[in-house]
Amino acid sequence: MSSSFAITNARLVDPASDYDGPGGVLVENGLIAQIGEELDLNSADDIVDAGGKILAPALIDLRASKEPALTPDGENQASLAAGAAAGGFGTVVLAPNDHSPLQTAGGFAGMTRSLGQHGIRVLSAAAATQDLAGENMAEIGLMAKAGAAYVSNGDHTIADSRVLRRVLSYSSQFDLWLALRAAEPGLSRGAVATESDWSARFGLPSEPTMAERIAIDRAASIAALSGGKLMVDRVSTADGLAAIRDARKRDIEIAATCAIAHLTLNEVDAGGLDSAFRIDPPLRLEDDRRALVAAIADGEIDAIVSDHRPTPFDDKGEPFALAIPGTLALETLLASLLALVHDEELSLVEALRPLTIGPADLLGLPQGRLSTGAPADLVLIDGDKPWVCNPDDFQSPRGNSAWSGRRFIGRVAQTFVDGQSIHNYNG
Amino acid sequence: MTRAAFSYDFPHRHLVSVADLNPVDISLIFERAEHWRAINRTPDKSSDALKGLTVLNLFFEASTRTQGSFEMAAKRLGADVVNFAIAHSSASKGESLSDTARTLAAMQPDIMVVRHSATGAPRFLAERTGLSVINAGDGMHQHPTQGLLDVFTMTRHWGSVGGRRILIIGDILHSRVARSNIGLLSMLGADIRVCAPPTLLPTDIDQWGVDVFHELEDAVTDCDAIMALRQQKERMSGGFIPSGREFFHLFGLSHETIKSAKPDVLIMHPGPMNRGVEIHTKLADDPDRSVIMEQVENGVAVRMAVLELIGANIRKEAAA
Repeated sequence: MSSSFAITNARLVDPASDYDGPGGVLVENGLIAQIGEELDLNSADDIVDAGGKILAPALIDLRASKEPALTPDGENQASLAAGAAAGGFGTVVLAPNDHSPLQTAGGFAGMTRSLGQHGIRVLSAAAATQDLAGENMAEIGLMAKAGAAYVSNGDHTIADSRVLRRVLSYSSQFDLWLALRAAEPGLSRGAVATESDWSARFGLPSEPTMAERIAIDRAASIAALSGGKLMVDRVSTADGLAAIRDARKRDIEIAATCAIAHLTLNEVDAGGLDSAFRIDPPLRLEDDRRALVAAIADGEIDAIVSDHRPTPFDDKGEPFALAIPGTLALETLLASLLALVHDEELSLVEALRPLTIGPADLLGLPQGRLSTGAPADLVLIDGDKPWVCNPDDFQSPRGNSAWSGRRFIGRVAQTFVDGQSIHNYNG
Repeated sequence: MTRAAFSYDFPHRHLVSVADLNPVDISLIFERAEHWRAINRTPDKSSDALKGLTVLNLFFEASTRTQGSFEMAAKRLGADVVNFAIAHSSASKGESLSDTARTLAAMQPDIMVVRHSATGAPRFLAERTGLSVINAGDGMHQHPTQGLLDVFTMTRHWGSVGGRRILIIGDILHSRVARSNIGLLSMLGADIRVCAPPTLLPTDIDQWGVDVFHELEDAVTDCDAIMALRQQKERMSGGFIPSGREFFHLFGLSHETIKSAKPDVLIMHPGPMNRGVEIHTKLADDPDRSVIMEQVENGVAVRMAVLELIGANIRKEAAA
């Protein structure tokens, strides 16, 4: 792509300015130079007619996982980046997990640099505690200096309130969010499902949704005590949302993310005990899903995350209760979210805000907006394109998708980072 | 009603949950179970109903009685029986259940009898292998042959369980036996009661169409049968009750505590019993009340009936 180009005749959607209307952008040297219906096209080397497609800031994902380096037949850096680009993402943040706890300050800068060589921007969160055990703090400061996006204890909460207090307090000096999975350990231990008629009948180990509320109440109170910025990692229940509202009333600095699975699926999807729907936090009730969608519309949730998780067995070769939790999501997130837009549960601006300016503002990133001088991280979306989710067609070598077989309307046509095209779909 | 008169054939090639059955299926099973029960009491027990078929007993959880009962049932029907106790073989080497299943399926058995600690494992195996699967207990979900043999035992005493008042007492929460029994009994129109401390009841028990009691004395009133369940210590994490002693004091069955039940009440237990926790030794061994040994005997007959009916469908499919 030439060093300057224009995309015209698009439907511009910029949640940062609440704009949804006709227009185009002029990109120069990787930055957005002009926006609007009247562009100065004389300086553009190349002009692309978008033909009415949606043009929005490239998406930002605050929570994805990679597999351990060199996993045979697994998802590698290149396939993760390709999948993200195909899904419309320009920025992906890796969160710690048990396989990759992201706790070694030594390799941290090198890792993010090598991940950055695949076109998309890859950032990494830093482990909050050593081995994510919730006992001793990891080297948060050294990782912060090496560019950690936020601090996270991965899939585990920090059960010991004294440790939680110290982690919040310690990370506040670097102005980093602590992303905390909200699960009251005593009520949630071993759970694979939400406590409900369905899980009781199947005799599945389950957790009450109140476990999330208790955990958020506790963490918010500790944040009030220690200072520090608390990010609720993947709120998934109406009870959890109520706790976040309470905390905001108390002027506690609290942010919340929500996983795409919990916005688009509920426990009924897992009704056939298909291991593809074994997800953590477990899928919730339809009332919870609706409450989450309403919270997205109201702007109560700052970011939608993919919680993309390639699992080591393509077929999740264990029964539901024993299966490894998680689903691939980067390549299907936008399409599954657009289903909520087509169903008029959300407007396009509401749906895209927590994928663009929402997470960008949380982390203080310059991208995620259509504004003059911002990096030209853009996504062009064919909003009417029908397609069927088939994991065999994924960039990822894994196939564990909870959306496998779904019919979608709307597909990413092209993704740009710094004005460079990193994905171009010609289907 | 005989099969000829009704002209309905047992349609299943799996038995994963009692929810798969309808009342006619159940009466077909009971009809054949009655037949095999009589044969089992003669010195000439062997049949060739399953001759040529291989039954694989796949037990991922330790079991003596259920596995033995299935093995005896299949052998009396003339099947070749192979027992795999997986807890000590591949699973501990890190092989996924999917791979284990495919490996075993490649040996071309016909029926898999599966016990597993995870809900849904039998259906998972049925889907992955295409073999006929009989659920011998999955997690806290279902144990359909146990439910069938319990209801068969009651039906033999009364002719029908419809309208009878049956109390299930003890650890309902962790019990697949309770889930299977409640499913069958409500399908057949029984009046079902459960009695347990709230910590041992599922949270949605009010949706199960049963009457819930926390007082033993109220619960046993006018009952036709009382079924004690075993404390599932292996599925319990943390204390659900303070002690076995306290449980026996509040919920234990004895001649004393069942006074207000019907005089000819049947005392049942799926075994193995914890004497002095759920049930007083003297009551468990009372020949006038306890049908616990009948349950064991009927278990073999019911499993023969299920194996026979499923085996016939496998042959029918192969012939088609």
